[in-house]
Amino acid sequence: MQAVSRRSFLKTSALGLASGALILDGGWLSHANGAAMDYFAAEFGISDGLCEKVLAKALARGGDFADLFFEHTISNYLILEDGKVNRAYGEVALGVGIRTVKGDQVGYGYTQELEEKSMLAAAATAATIADGTTATPPVKFSRISLADRYPLKKLYSAVPLSDKLPLVQSANDKCFALSGEIIKVNATLNDQQKRILIVTSDGVKAEDLQPNSFLAASVTAERNGRRERAGYNFGGRREFSFYSPALVDELCKEAVGRVLVLFDAVKPPAGEMPVVFGPGVTGILLHEAIGHGMEADFNRKKISTFATMIGKKVAEPFVNIVDDATNERLPGSLNVDDEGTPGQKTLLVENGILTSYLHDKISARHYRVNSTGSGRRQSYEHFVQPRMRNTYMLAGPASPEEVIGSVQKGIYIKDVSNGQVKIGEGDFAFYVSQGQMIEDGKLTAPIKDVNIMGNGPKMLANITMLANDLQMNRGGAGMCGKGGQGVPVGFGQPTCRVQSLTVGGTQA
Amino acid sequence: MNKELFDLASWAIENAKKAGAAASRVAIDRERSVEISYREHKPENIKEAAKRSLSIEIFADGRFSGQTTSDLRKKALEEFIANAVRTTRLLAEDPYRSLPDPHYYQGRSTADLQLTDPAYSGYTPEERHKTARAMEEACLEAGGDKVISVTAQAQDGENESVLLASNGFEGGQSSTFYAGVASMTAQDEGERRPNGYHYAVAIRRSEMPGPEEIGRIAARNTLDLLGAAKIKTETLPVIIRNQDVSRVLSGLLAAMYGANIQQKRSFLADKRGQKIASEVLTVIDDPLLPGGLGSRTFDNDGMAARRRIMIDKGVLNEFFVDWYYSRKLGWEPTTGGPANLLIPPGSRSVAEIMQELGRGIYITGFIGGNSNSTTGDSSIGILGKLFENGVPVQSVAEMNIAGNHLEFWHKLIEAANDPWPYSSWRTPSLVFKEVVVSGV
Repeated sequence: MQAVSRRSFLKTSALGLASGALILDGGWLSHANGAAMDYFAAEFGISDGLCEKVLAKALARGGDFADLFFEHTISNYLILEDGKVNRAYGEVALGVGIRTVKGDQVGYGYTQELEEKSMLAAAATAATIADGTTATPPVKFSRISLADRYPLKKLYSAVPLSDKLPLVQSANDKCFALSGEIIKVNATLNDQQKRILIVTSDGVKAEDLQPNSFLAASVTAERNGRRERAGYNFGGRREFSFYSPALVDELCKEAVGRVLVLFDAVKPPAGEMPVVFGPGVTGILLHEAIGHGMEADFNRKKISTFATMIGKKVAEPFVNIVDDATNERLPGSLNVDDEGTPGQKTLLVENGILTSYLHDKISARHYRVNSTGSGRRQSYEHFVQPRMRNTYMLAGPASPEEVIGSVQKGIYIKDVSNGQVKIGEGDFAFYVSQGQMIEDGKLTAPIKDVNIMGNGPKMLANITMLANDLQMNRGGAGMCGKGGQGVPVGFGQPTCRVQSLTVGGTQA
Repeated sequence: MNKELFDLASWAIENAKKAGAAASRVAIDRERSVEISYREHKPENIKEAAKRSLSIEIFADGRFSGQTTSDLRKKALEEFIANAVRTTRLLAEDPYRSLPDPHYYQGRSTADLQLTDPAYSGYTPEERHKTARAMEEACLEAGGDKVISVTAQAQDGENESVLLASNGFEGGQSSTFYAGVASMTAQDEGERRPNGYHYAVAIRRSEMPGPEEIGRIAARNTLDLLGAAKIKTETLPVIIRNQDVSRVLSGLLAAMYGANIQQKRSFLADKRGQKIASEVLTVIDDPLLPGGLGSRTFDNDGMAARRRIMIDKGVLNEFFVDWYYSRKLGWEPTTGGPANLLIPPGSRSVAEIMQELGRGIYITGFIGGNSNSTTGDSSIGILGKLFENGVPVQSVAEMNIAGNHLEFWHKLIEAANDPWPYSSWRTPSLVFKEVVVSGV
């Protein structure tokens, strides 16, 4: 997982700072009802007849299939700095991406004008990937019914600013009230409502409204001339009502608690040692160590370290890892993926055996299996790649105390960020923003500024203990970057022990 | 300046005024690009993109917001702008928000920065395919029997933009770019499949290396990763490869931004005029570099761009302060961020420096990690080569360096003679003494 920049106007970090882009208050873009059905037909006149015509153009030179991906996304940032919500940025993105697929070859064009002429031109670009002289006839498509994992009773764009502003303001006031050592508070409310319509030449029409939002607070504190900074966020595919006063209290307590502890933090010794991961966001471990390596495009090209491991034992029998679109309201939850396959749950590791890759349509055809509904893209400007959704490990039998108690000398990791992996080698790294030393089976001094490194297959084999406390991360700012595209993802994990990882400290 | 974009921007400013904005600033971008990638001797992806966007910053009743849209139909824009103004008025007041004093617009360079390739329009689809194919073939050949997979991508594009402000600023810029990247995955011991790459980016096609060269270097970079191991934790000299320097330099720069200084999250806030690095480190921001990938005659505020020595022989000289944070800090503005960053190169090659150092690590990549702009603490995973007696002997992975920027840059002992030309940050390889490299 990496902080992803989406041109200059959508830069975000785990601390929730935004720069660049539109805040829309009620009014002109909130006219549609919450239901996802027929939005593009009603608002932009996208008829089935038009889609058929464009698909035919995309397949004019042959090809296996073609699809259209319409998108209308409204994103807003409200930003508090120096005690006031005095900055707002926003963006409206509207366009259609047109793809022609032949084997594992992809032709792609897109346009920001939803007019027949522009769409046919983009389709002609996509068609160039095929070089046949005979057109592939598209079949009739029909609307598929979808689950409803993140209903939005009230659109974000229908929530008046007069409701949003006090919420962000309260984060400021609460953080300052919690400690006299806080010298700066930044708070951000980001909401994005993305409407998509997918029409495919192999028969699918699917429409979805995908909300995503987060509320973040970051604080700087000063003690005896020293300064530290930390932050926290809550979010996901939530209703605006999720952001209650009680949630803001919790947000501020987390942010302030996390910064104050850093004044007592030590830097751990460098070298290999046992590492215990606390529950929740530390699931980034799975995302990097195994998730990316299981994305089928990397395996189809044989460039993943997991390319020849399906069906083989990769972990102890108590290890089960899933990648799941079906959770309610998490950042990676999907009713439908970005090529029209319904959202589903995929077992990556079952009882220690490597079970399935994450497939989009192209890799599914290559492997002669069904797509796992993992085809995702950042926007209409991008083509589909197999991607993760919410990745987590199922709970084990131990108690968290037993797991921590089993380690003589090691470190305990509570929060992490900046994960990265080299797919082919399996080598991964991430940064520990919150953690503690473990000495004689007990949590002792807090630690900071540590990078942790390991190797995916080695780490999996090295998971030696699992607790019964699976938690999903409740943050909403988690973005995964791949091939220059960012998509929201979720993480989860129970407390677990990895026998040995490299801890990058400063002491030789 | 593109008249069509200029006219639309003027129209938008006029509309913002009609809707009640006291002031506004409009940026319009238009970009066309093509990318073609090859794998297994055939096109893997072909993509063509044409996009445009309009961003407007609204100043109304002492309040501010910024908004972007890709829907440039006038009817839609009219509503968009009117709504933007209405929305802005609902926010809290911010007495520091304003357009820059027009005084800062003055003195803009009239030099030709050579940001477009006159030959661009003659670049044919056939040539694009030929370029991608040649990169792939060269990489496959140089990778030999170690190759698992090679992908080569040729990209190019042209961009036009205008920036207009209601208090008189007018500016425009056009540019072209060409990029080539080849990436290879090789078979190593067991299930390890190292991936390496090489790339180049330039404004003119004539400044690009041959596609064969990109392919060959990608293969060499990949083969260099074979047999990687973790060695024991040790204090060693390290050389950071030219193109990788930006990763550590960005951690130092983060503390030089006005926003971080004003928000009390800069470890350099009170260090102006002080020595923060060894004498070897000079950092220059040169927006007027002809043909530079970051070149510009004005910045995002419209302020006239000029060359600045940010760090002079280790002494912190200037900060990156945009108009807004200059008002908040009560300082003179400089510019919001770097255009082209230059570290003056030294006289010796990396090979010569290795010879003299004898034993150390040549860092050719980073992984994970973090740099804290508030404290200066940093920790990051590295990969590269251990060299002994001046010769690379072992590739290393799963290792880490950590420290504080305020100490780290004092360990800089030399800059090599190899500034990286394919980025707006033209950094040479840098040599640091006594760095703790942690492994086993």
